[in-house]
Amino acid sequence: METVIAVLSWFCLVTGSAFAIIGGIGLLRLPDFYTRMHGGGITDTLGAGLIMVGLSLQAGLSLITVKLLLILVFSLVASPTAGYALAKSARTHGLEPWKREDDR
Amino acid sequence: MSRLPTLGDQWVVIPLLVLLVCTAITIIRMRSLMAAVLLTGIYSFLSASWMLLLDAPDVAFTEAAVGAGLSTVLMLATLALTSRDAKPPVRRPWGPLFVVVVTGAALVYGTLDMPHYGDPDAPAQRYPSPSYVERTAAETEIRNVVTVVLASYRGYDTLGETTVIFTAGIGVLLLLRGRARRMGTREREKS
Amino acid sequence: MTRLTILRVVSKWMVPFILLFALYVQAHGDLGPGGGFQAGVIFAAGIILYSLVFGLEAGRRVFPPRVAESLAALGILLYAGTGWAGLLVGGWYLDFPALNPHHPSHGQHWGIFAVELGVGLAVAGVMTSVFFAFAGRKGAS
Repeated sequence: METVIAVLSWFCLVTGSAFAIIGGIGLLRLPDFYTRMHGGGITDTLGAGLIMVGLSLQAGLSLITVKLLLILVFSLVASPTAGYALAKSARTHGLEPWKREDDR
Repeated sequence: MSRLPTLGDQWVVIPLLVLLVCTAITIIRMRSLMAAVLLTGIYSFLSASWMLLLDAPDVAFTEAAVGAGLSTVLMLATLALTSRDAKPPVRRPWGPLFVVVVTGAALVYGTLDMPHYGDPDAPAQRYPSPSYVERTAAETEIRNVVTVVLASYRGYDTLGETTVIFTAGIGVLLLLRGRARRMGTREREKS
Repeated sequence: MTRLTILRVVSKWMVPFILLFALYVQAHGDLGPGGGFQAGVIFAAGIILYSLVFGLEAGRRVFPPRVAESLAALGILLYAGTGWAGLLVGGWYLDFPALNPHHPSHGQHWGIFAVELGVGLAVAGVMTSVFFAFAGRKGAS
């Protein structure tokens, strides 16, 4: 049972880190603001969430797990909201999305 | 790093410090003030992680809350009142550059003499810190030594710090509100 | 008031938790990282979030700048007053163990609690009033 939890938490941590790295590469390589928000926001939320799930699996049933799950809930709510607010305000101020015909 | 640094710690510490330096250089070279403010927030966040690695969670907590949270918001509010881009430099700053390089070199030369991190013979570890830790265990039932040192054994310093924060707030309010009150009185006289 | 409904809904849910977290950090300074400074900053951050999302007028109604300034001064007075309490009992200024001669550790505990509360109030008051002073100027968005 211990090894199962350890392997599961290891898997969650590694996958979460991989998602975070993919999100970072996306922030660098994607062509414009909206695509970067899409790539960065989604993968970062998922990556951070998976890392927290992995950490709470390692912590077992304790106060630390409760705190970690609360942080997970808050970050799941706040991070996409922040991305949405940024994208919406960029749209309101007239930032045009990138199209395939653009030279980038 | 709760003991002397082990073999694997440098993989986390060195990249973090490199990121810190890169962020600082980028802030200096940034023309757009909005980007510079947000990068300052990132710098504060990296500093908070660095302090956490040094086993100082209270300081890391305060740095993250103040630097990455409040300071960024206040600076963005200031940006909304002033311009968005930094003005280009007027002339080549050779004099200030020389002063900064000399000061930095002197500081680096000074750090060559510092004791290693976690060295039990360092002056900071010998006196008075162990007595604080022992006295906290003996005299109080509080478990957070940092809070006891901050609030009780070094209470005067904390009183001074809080008064400094209060004075800074009063200064800001005097600067910003005196003018607004005069403008508000003028508007009330008009209406 | 921001037009984005999602921001309003999410902030309406998050601001009470932020303020509650500030109280938690204030009270748990003895057991874990925390204390007055962090709690004051987090409280101010909650008020600032509310003002940013729901408008400056709503923020001013909830937490008037006069109250913020009074809280800041009250915090300093609380801190200095606890020091005076040590003098009144016969010890030194800021002498916490003298507050309870039978149980010096209880005196320490109460003294530290009062002092951290003073610091928290002062920091929260100062940060909030500085933000309201900045945000209320002409030309601010």
